[in-house]
Amino acid sequence: MPNQKIPPTRYSAVAQLFHWVIAALIVTQFVLAWTADDLPLGMHKLALLARHKSFGMTVFMLAILRLLWRFWNPPPELPASMTPIEHMLARATHIAFYVLLFAMPLTGWTMSSAKNYSVSWFGLFTWPNLIAPNDAAFDFLKSTHDYLSYALFAIAILHILAALKHHFWNKDDVFLRMLPLTKLSKAKSERRP
Amino acid sequence: MMRRAAMSFAILSLATAAGTVRAADAATSYTADPTPSRLEFIGVQAGAEFKGSFHKFTAAVDFAPEALANAHFDVQIDLNSLDTMDKDRDKTMRGPDIFDIAHFPTAHYVTRSFTKTATGYSAAGTLTLHGVTKDVPIDFQFVSAPGGAKLEGTAKLKRLDFGVGQGDWKSTEWVGDVVKVSFSLVLKPKP
Repeated sequence: MPNQKIPPTRYSAVAQLFHWVIAALIVTQFVLAWTADDLPLGMHKLALLARHKSFGMTVFMLAILRLLWRFWNPPPELPASMTPIEHMLARATHIAFYVLLFAMPLTGWTMSSAKNYSVSWFGLFTWPNLIAPNDAAFDFLKSTHDYLSYALFAIAILHILAALKHHFWNKDDVFLRMLPLTKLSKAKSERRP
Repeated sequence: MMRRAAMSFAILSLATAAGTVRAADAATSYTADPTPSRLEFIGVQAGAEFKGSFHKFTAAVDFAPEALANAHFDVQIDLNSLDTMDKDRDKTMRGPDIFDIAHFPTAHYVTRSFTKTATGYSAAGTLTLHGVTKDVPIDFQFVSAPGGAKLEGTAKLKRLDFGVGQGDWKSTEWVGDVVKVSFSLVLKPKP
């Protein structure tokens, strides 16, 4: 174990920041991608995809930092009231999220290389091309990127529904402990008349 | 005083004579061998550079290092042979808002004069592209090789000077104005 601290009851402020910033970026990514998909190749599409790539590479960098942070600051345990199946499902969802946080930007970055559109980060610097331009590789990577985005969308819906279920149905702290400025149920119950 | 003037005159005469002899030297006439020769450009999209090339072009090169006054380049570029390794982008670039090859299928570069530089040579010349003729200097190196020569160089131009980019493409926010051109020509003596 990296440290001997008492297990935390909620996510650290840094972990919460990672979670919400990345969540907001992912929502933005879907909006940019869906908008760009419907456009013919033109200035507007180029602009949207340029932002999509810059945000995507931001997610990639944040995902690396987030994983490192998580390694040194383990998240709070899930409530004992959850069944082993629920534990497994929660764990699988979280692992899938981390896999996708890397797989989405990596397939996007590689498909940009394959189409000879190098990835710039907000015009400040250019990421190196991962592969040489190649039509077949682009088609494969583009469909992989698309399918992974459907998986990400589905898992995000499952994740949101699960968080809401914990909050409104189970009435436990699973959702609240990822929210800043909220008191956990222990404090809530003390204030209860 | 008289002696110095006489001396200057003698030197000047010699130099003029030498100049005349040099100028009389004919430049060798070459053509670019299409297979190994390259004509490439680097544009900027969304802050990142991308490379493209023109596969079809002809270059008539009259050049000899000792006969710069007689040197002359004439390059014809078939814009339809554009290749940026992305068919969608190639199609857009051939279209009416960028190269408009339906109206301007070729680009033409002709030199006017040459000068020797520290690293090689520099040529003043004009590029006709998209119906616009503008000065575009090129810097190059010329190396004689067995059975011909090698010509390698670069140029820089602004696409909007030539009206390459109409409508939305006039904006330089996502597509840069400056385009770098590089060429590597394998020259064979003209038959």
